[in-house]
Parts: sequence; C-alpha cells; structure tokens
Amino acid sequence: MRERRSIIISALVTIAFAGVPFFLNVDTSYFAYYLFLSFCHIVIAQGWNFVAGYTGQISLCQNAFFGLGAYTTALIWLHDVTKTGYYFDPVVMVLSGLVPVILAVIIGIPLLSRLRGDYFALGTLGVQFIIQVLFLKGGAFTRGADGLHLPSTVFESMKPYYWTGLFLALFATAVVYFLIKSRAGLALRAIREDEISAAAHGIHVLKYKIFAFAVGAFLAGICGSLYAWYLFHINPDSVLNLNWLFYPILICVLGGNGTITGPIIGAFFITALFSLGTVYMAQTHPILSGALIIFVMKFMPTGLVGLKDRILSRG
Amino acid sequence: MLEYLTFGLITQLFVNGILFGTMYGIAAIGLSLIFGTMRIIFLAQGAMIVFFAYISYWLFTLLGVDPYLSLIFVVPLSLLLGSGFYSSLFKEAAALEDKNISLLIAIGLMFLVENLMTVVWTANPRSILTTYSSFVFRPIGIIIPFTRLIALLMAVLSASGVLLFLKKTLIGMAVRAASEDMESATLMGINPHWVNVVAFSIGIGLAGIAGVGLATIYSFDPMYGFIFAIKALIALAFGGMGNVFGALLGGIILGLLESWASFFIGAGWADAISYAVFLIMLMLKPEGLFVRSVQTA
Repeated sequence: MRERRSIIISALVTIAFAGVPFFLNVDTSYFAYYLFLSFCHIVIAQGWNFVAGYTGQISLCQNAFFGLGAYTTALIWLHDVTKTGYYFDPVVMVLSGLVPVILAVIIGIPLLSRLRGDYFALGTLGVQFIIQVLFLKGGAFTRGADGLHLPSTVFESMKPYYWTGLFLALFATAVVYFLIKSRAGLALRAIREDEISAAAHGIHVLKYKIFAFAVGAFLAGICGSLYAWYLFHINPDSVLNLNWLFYPILICVLGGNGTITGPIIGAFFITALFSLGTVYMAQTHPILSGALIIFVMKFMPTGLVGLKDRILSRG
Repeated sequence: MLEYLTFGLITQLFVNGILFGTMYGIAAIGLSLIFGTMRIIFLAQGAMIVFFAYISYWLFTLLGVDPYLSLIFVVPLSLLLGSGFYSSLFKEAAALEDKNISLLIAIGLMFLVENLMTVVWTANPRSILTTYSSFVFRPIGIIIPFTRLIALLMAVLSASGVLLFLKKTLIGMAVRAASEDMESATLMGINPHWVNVVAFSIGIGLAGIAGVGLATIYSFDPMYGFIFAIKALIALAFGGMGNVFGALLGGIILGLLESWASFFIGAGWADAISYAVFLIMLMLKPEGLFVRSVQTA
C-alpha cells in the first residue's frame, strides 16, 4: 500500500516537472536553469549515495568519473569515432558511462581488496589527483589546461537539456531503488553493516564492492556526458573541479545518506542555496554555505530526511 | 640532462627536498594527533595554516612585528582556537561511530575559513618581506635560505617538544593511551574529552607554527591550504598514523620525492608522482614506514 502510494506520488512529481517547459520559457528563466542543475546533481549524488550510503565505501573520486564521462563525450565527438549524430546521442552517452566503469574496475580491484575505511577514501582521493594531472598534461590528446572545444553551433534550446536531465535523474533514482530492492542490494547493505559477517554468509565481498563502485562511476559518467553537451568547452578546471567531488557528498549527507529520497531533497536544497547565494551575495555566500554545513552536521547528523522522521516520531 | 648532474646539484636537490618537506611534516604531526585520538581526518588543517600565516602577515604589516616574534602571539591563539573548535564543533561528532559527520564538519570549516580569508584579505597572493628574507648561507656551494633553515629548526624543535610532552607528562601519556584504544583508556579513568581537547589544541597549535614558517618562506593565498592538507595527509601515510617523528620523516620523504620528481620529470608531474607513490605505499605498507612494535610506541 505504502509502496503504491510512493510510486503514484513520484509519477505525479515527474509529470509536474516534465510539464514545466510548457509554462516557463526555459531558455531565459533562471529557475529552469536551477532545475536543470539540480537534476545533474541528483544523478551524480545518487551514484555516490549507492557507493557510500548503501555500501559504506567512502569514495572520493566521483569528480574523476564525472570528468572522464565529459571528456569521453568530447573526444568521441571530435575524433568522429561512432559515426552517429553526436549531439544528444544515446550511444555516446552510454559509452561515456562505460569508460568510467572501466576505470572503476581497474582501480577498484587493487584499492577495494586492500584498503578499508579511511584508507580507501584517501586512496581514491589520490586517484582523483592523478587523473587531474593526466588530463592537464595529456598533450595534443586533451589539449591541457585549455581543454577541448565542441562545435557549439548545434545549440538550439535548453528544452532537451531540461528533459534529458529530468530523465537521467529519474533513471538514476530508479537504478538505485531497484538495485537496493534486489538480492545484490541486500548483499551491499550486509557489507556496510559488517564486512566479516557478510563474507561468512557467502557474499563475495570484493565482487559486490566493485559492482557498487562501478554503478556509481556509470551514473557520474552519464551525468558528465550531459554536462559536456551543456558546456561545449571541456577543460580540467570545469569538469574535474573538486566541487564535483564535494557537492555530491554534501547533497547526500544533508539530505540523508543511504536513503532513496535523501539525495533528491538534498540536491534541490543545496542547489537552491548555492544558486541564491551566487545571485544575491556573490562574495560572501561560500562562508554561509560552510557555516550551514557545520550547523546541519552538528544539529541533525541524519540529514533532512532523518529530521522528518524525528519530528514524526516525536509527534 | 645528465651532463648537468654534478655532486653539488644532487646535494642541492636533496637539501631543497628536506627543507621543503619539514613544512609538510609539522602539518602532518598535527593531523596525526587529531586522527590518533578522534579518528577525524581534519581536512581544514591546511586552511588553518594559511589563516595563521595571514595573522602573522597582519602583525607584520600593521604593527611591524617580526614574523618570528609573532609566534609569541600566534601559538597561544592557535591553542585557544584548537580547544574552542573541539568544544564547539567536534565534541559530539568525535564520539559518534559514523566518521563522515566529523569529516564533513571539517570540510565545512575549511569552506568557512577559506572564504572568510578571501573576503578579509582578498584572493591576491601575499608574502612577508623582511630584511633577512633574501639572506642565504652557502656552505660548500649549496644554497640554503635563512628563512627555510629557521623553519627546519622550528619543525624539529616543535616535533621534539610534542614528543617530550607525549612521553613525559601524565596528560601526554593519556593522549597516547587514548590513541591506542579509546575504550580501554576510558575504562582506566581517562576523560576522553580532556584527551581530545589536548590533542586538538596541540594539532592546531602546530598549524600555527607551520603558518608562521609558511608566511616567511612562500607567498600564499587563501586557497593554498587544501593542497597543503592533502600533502600533509600523504606525509602522514608515509610515517604511519600516530607516530610523531614518523610524520616528520614522512614529510621530508615527500619533500625529497617532489624535489627529485620536479627536476627529472617536470614540475607538473611532481604531484602525480607523489600521489602514485602514496597509492603504492597504501597498498603495500598501510601501517607506514616507521612503525615500531606496539609496546615501545
């Protein structure tokens, strides 16, 4: 009963969001841009949520996967690899998701088998820095700090961005939701609770961890691909930026890590905060954001979703 | 390139590396104390170091206080700030099982301090120029800047001071006991909050010393701190968590690695090389290079 109700509610919310471009001029409205950015944040945050919230592995290289997805899209387009229409081409998008998956498996096997907890977090942070330097020093292939320029003449309207963003946000949420419901999700949560006990119950710990890591990488990659079509100019400063590492973490933890609605609420909240800050208090808003993070973590460590539960259980 | 490689050059690179690395070392000792007792990865350490560098800069430009003399003011301030941070921000979070919360508070603090500094001191790089800033020693043809030598001296002295404090005083012993096993230490009647306050104050106090050292050597800007904190973490992983001299030596190893890599491979690659060595270290010897047995540690 509860499940059916939540499915109906999410369908209604999705239809409402999908209808926004019919009432609002998406090309000029800042609100529509805000929604688009929130959708991007939902996609990348759900990826991190799956790795860190449900599997308990704090990965600090989400920005590397995001940047790799964006670069893959740009390189396929510029080198004319797949011979399809490159602008909003699903083939390119899937490939941009798969390349980070390959990286995730390659670095996941040594890192996840040998490192745990904080050490895994530090290791992935190191990987992220190495990827940054590699793209910065990539020579003619990545064109260094200047980066790659895509033909921006194909741009017509923000509408496809908006709908694709909405679709990806829905897709990411659905992927995480159904994976968590499945047998694999049960194994992942068992690993989060107690790794040794999970192994004793016949769960192949390393295999499932790498699976979770790869799913997170895939979601970050397709999000990077969409963002590459939006930017048309891919350089390490814009797509490998540390903000793409910190924002998903902030979003998940503020919203409620390890819950399905947490990243969605967190993404709308954080993006609103940062967008409003940029518009109204250009210089001082990061100070307030920092103070807010401290405040939320100190007084409601379970996030906004947990706050709702706490109020409900009290009343 | 190899024909330029003389004995003097090799020694110069070696000395540069050591002088460079001690700065990472002091930051790493602070991180090690905070991580040892509370298991918090205090990412804001770098931002705090830059903050104290700015304090020293202000004292110098506004009041004309010599940067080394400003230590008298900066160190008590940093100790006070450290205990203030612990009791206002990390007290509850340190006791929680979920370490993400304290990590995020540290990230929030980093955002706050970095951007506060950008507003107060603008994003332009600053540096302190005194009469002795360009003074160098030249023993056997090697160039050793005076300010870097003093920074090395400060690092060694503060590391020895912290080590003596940990070994000889009762509170120091309590800190060491708590970083080995917080639960047993609490059962032995050690107040965890006391230990944490002490560890945090000393950690931030070392950031104050590192800040003054930084202010006299490099030009710095508000965003410089994050990279510094990451380097300190790498130094910490080299030395082994909770090992004071290990952390200092880890910093020196990192400094040597960077100075050699940037000379032989290119400055841009130096960072990638140090991260790669860091990863290999984590895989093969996660307990650090300088661990001793538990009994003597």
